[in-house]
Amino acid sequence: MKLFLAVILCKLLRFIGGLVGKGSSLPGQFALKVCPDALGRVKLPPHIIAVTGSNGKTSTVEMIASILAADGRKVVYNKEGSNQIEGVTTLILSNCSLGGKMRGDVLLLESDERYARHTFKWFHPTHFVITNLYRDQLTRNGHPEWVYDAVKAAVFPETTLVLNADDPLVSCFARDHDPAKVKWFGLDQCSVSAKEHRGVYHDGARCPVCKGRMEYSCYHYAHIGHYACPSCGHRRHDTDFAVTALDLKEGRLVINGETEISLAFKSIYNVYNILAAWSVCALAGVDRAAMAGVINNYMLKNGRMITFRLGNHQGTLLTSKHENSVAYDTNLGYIADTGKPCTVLVIVDAISRKYFTGETSWLWDIDFDRLNCGHVRKVMLYGKYCNDLAVRFKYSHIPADKIEVGEDIPTAAAYLKENGDEDVYVVTCFSDRDKLLAHVERDG
Amino acid sequence: MELTFLHLYPDCMSLYGEYANVMVLRRHLEAMGAAVTVQTALFEDAPDFEHADFIYMGAGTERTQKAALTALLPHKEAFQAAVDRGAVALFTGNAMELLGASVTDAAGRVWPCLGFAGFTTVEHDCRYPCDVVACTDLWEGDVVGFMNKCSATLGVDTPLFRVEAGTPGNTGNPDQDDGDDGEGYVSGGVFATHLTGPVLVKNPAFTDLLIRRIFTAKGWELPETLPVLPYEKEAHEATVKGLVGPRYAGG
Repeated sequence: MKLFLAVILCKLLRFIGGLVGKGSSLPGQFALKVCPDALGRVKLPPHIIAVTGSNGKTSTVEMIASILAADGRKVVYNKEGSNQIEGVTTLILSNCSLGGKMRGDVLLLESDERYARHTFKWFHPTHFVITNLYRDQLTRNGHPEWVYDAVKAAVFPETTLVLNADDPLVSCFARDHDPAKVKWFGLDQCSVSAKEHRGVYHDGARCPVCKGRMEYSCYHYAHIGHYACPSCGHRRHDTDFAVTALDLKEGRLVINGETEISLAFKSIYNVYNILAAWSVCALAGVDRAAMAGVINNYMLKNGRMITFRLGNHQGTLLTSKHENSVAYDTNLGYIADTGKPCTVLVIVDAISRKYFTGETSWLWDIDFDRLNCGHVRKVMLYGKYCNDLAVRFKYSHIPADKIEVGEDIPTAAAYLKENGDEDVYVVTCFSDRDKLLAHVERDG
Repeated sequence: MELTFLHLYPDCMSLYGEYANVMVLRRHLEAMGAAVTVQTALFEDAPDFEHADFIYMGAGTERTQKAALTALLPHKEAFQAAVDRGAVALFTGNAMELLGASVTDAAGRVWPCLGFAGFTTVEHDCRYPCDVVACTDLWEGDVVGFMNKCSATLGVDTPLFRVEAGTPGNTGNPDQDDGDDGEGYVSGGVFATHLTGPVLVKNPAFTDLLIRRIFTAKGWELPETLPVLPYEKEAHEATVKGLVGPRYAGG
């Protein structure tokens, strides 16, 4: 009876929420008050796929959903990104019959790293994809090992883990898991691989198991690559699903030496997201050709690159989550690779859209020296934390005469509108991007 | 004027950009004409405390902190001798805990530490990350920073700061407020705070204090004014404005 009432309440609140455009957590929150163990009582579909990690969750989930849908499966997933237990409850109960049976063939969940254990207290995924763990929103997440411990509490023996073999910390999830229930994906040594680590910090420098010095035969980016610890033997596992060839400039990759895929977004992130999606869909029994058909030139709906005009400038906004240096480094690398004269505008005004903090230590984790190239003619540092940015840039190799500092974002927009015609790249977060976009003409 | 910094375990005890503390102090001292050499020590190395004028360690994960402790303990006497000789030390984040008597980890294992002071630390399974506003008798004005702590430190007799907002102090846990607003630890030339990240970047007055202590220890004459480097004070003031503004009204 309690479950029946919770389902009714959830559906009703979801309907009303839809009318007034409210978020997707509230109906689940109320439903859990009526029936706290609702998630343990509902009958779920045979496939429950969860995706977690620091970066790439939303994109990976979106691709998995598209592949499974193209294969004729009915997929229920949290496309609104509400990935804590209340949002997941809303999703599940909204898709339940009044008798408590969830519709669909697959329940697909983007799962918050720290809260997965609360959600999976009630049911366990059949497949758990873990993409990567690195420094991300440390003001709420603590640090990657803290997140690891939180995710570990959500790993159950019957779940098949789908792990990024190239991440030494993610690989630790397999340590006391049935090897038959661990599947590995990773990138072979290829054109993007480097012998030396690139970045301000190196979270792979120490083995996550024994803290001995880790050795890498190659790096793909940050601490992601091919590693082995001479002290304890923790090493990159052989892969079940691999990108065996990659040409990022041309936007082509090959999976398992047999399927060529064209990339709509030529980023290393996209490569890993595609591979993660491919791996779990293959495990769910989707045909190789069907997967390739969907993934080939796949355009993400949650695209984080926005193009615009501002005066005589062609502009590109590269959304780079604040408090996530890997996301910043990727976008700075993209600008460095363009090779065309440009101005870069970096905005740090509100560090988060969800909470307040004045914490700016993450600026010191970003490799701003990637902008130290001839075609970057000017770097504009704007927002409330422009002085923190300016101090940070004083410790980069970018010449001081290229740097301009100011607090007021409209002033930066007005300046660009009146001056110059070079390309403009804006590097900032969801929390701040509209403050600039309000002053531009968006393309398309 | 030659100075040697000893940066302990920068490859892994720099979880929140702490390496910047070393860079900023160095830049200030160089602006005063000093030639600064930064030596780094990894776990596998014997740190050269004998020649160190300034010793620094930043924050690490709880597991890395224990590895740092294991690496450092055999060199405890050398470290103590350097401090006795007048070397200035700064330990930030959970590196501070290593200066005390012990750390008890979340599983209950007790890790004996350097024992420079009698305080003890107990880790727990909750984190209390927060912005912090504090003050100190050592300089005028606000101290600002961030704390990312999952432990309670008890028994600090000589705290470095007095917390005004954000955390109850060395206990680090709003549910374990013992009424003591002390944060960090100071004794002679040894400074420690659980504030994480580039504490010196955020607080130029702290940098100035360390410069004065280093100059005094070396017997060098201090100039009347210390260098003011661009944007640092403005960044400090912007953070104070953000933290002491509406969010912390009423403390």
